[in-house]
Amino acid sequence: MTPKWIELVTGSLDDKKRYRRYKARIAALPESYRTAVEGVVRYLMYTGPGDGDQLMTMFDDLADLFEQSAADGVPVHAIVGDDPVAFVDTFKQNYGQGGWLGKEQRRLTDAIARAEGQDAGGGAAAGGGAAAGGGAADDDVRRRGGGADTGNETDAGDGSGVSR
Amino acid sequence: MEGLVGKQMTEMLKGVLEGIVLAALSRRPAYGYEITAWLRDLGFTDIAEGTIYALLIRVEQRGLVDVQKVASEKGPPRKVYSLNALGRTNLDEFWGTWSFLVERLEQLHEGGMER
Repeated sequence: MTPKWIELVTGSLDDKKRYRRYKARIAALPESYRTAVEGVVRYLMYTGPGDGDQLMTMFDDLADLFEQSAADGVPVHAIVGDDPVAFVDTFKQNYGQGGWLGKEQRRLTDAIARAEGQDAGGGAAAGGGAAAGGGAADDDVRRRGGGADTGNETDAGDGSGVSR
Repeated sequence: MEGLVGKQMTEMLKGVLEGIVLAALSRRPAYGYEITAWLRDLGFTDIAEGTIYALLIRVEQRGLVDVQKVASEKGPPRKVYSLNALGRTNLDEFWGTWSFLVERLEQLHEGGMER
């Protein structure tokens, strides 16, 4: 038995075994299926789930699909269809989304909620010039704070290869 | 199907494909390949095997189907999907929404925008 602490250093051994099993399954596929899976996986690495567990489940499901299709004699084109991107985009929806994408979607939703709050506030204080001024000052503070955040997010985005 | 008509068909199908899969399973339990083959027979020749598989995973995650692994003579064991009670309720809702849409679109089609 390997002591548990070693996983703190190396990452989960179960995950590694699972990943090696998946790699072996892909290696055993006929060449054209292997090429297709590798292409799909490359795209998923950039655009797929951010969570490691979800990622492994997704790989296993992908291996199931291509193994079964190879056994049934379904050609690669019939598996992925005329538009491989559309297929992979549908497929990856089952496994959550990239960490950066989820964060940006929350950010967008928050921004719209803030905008709606500002509309409601502006309507209530329609007569008061002072109130409107106060609102604008608040906005400035928020925008400055948000600006710094946005800088960080852009870096993270580039790091995960989003723009490639 | 070729060109624009095919493209439009693909776009329209996206929203209803999950319902189509549930409808297929309401006839009898099936595995992915059988469903795709059945849809091809119905004339949906452009639907990718992988897309049907992805939708089957989705309805499984949402608890609309029960899954049984069945040994197969060729290849790995197959997952056979059957519609459960929650799936049937969901399918009823799908057909309800579908009827609503068809009715409204027919009104539009017949120039019935004026009330």
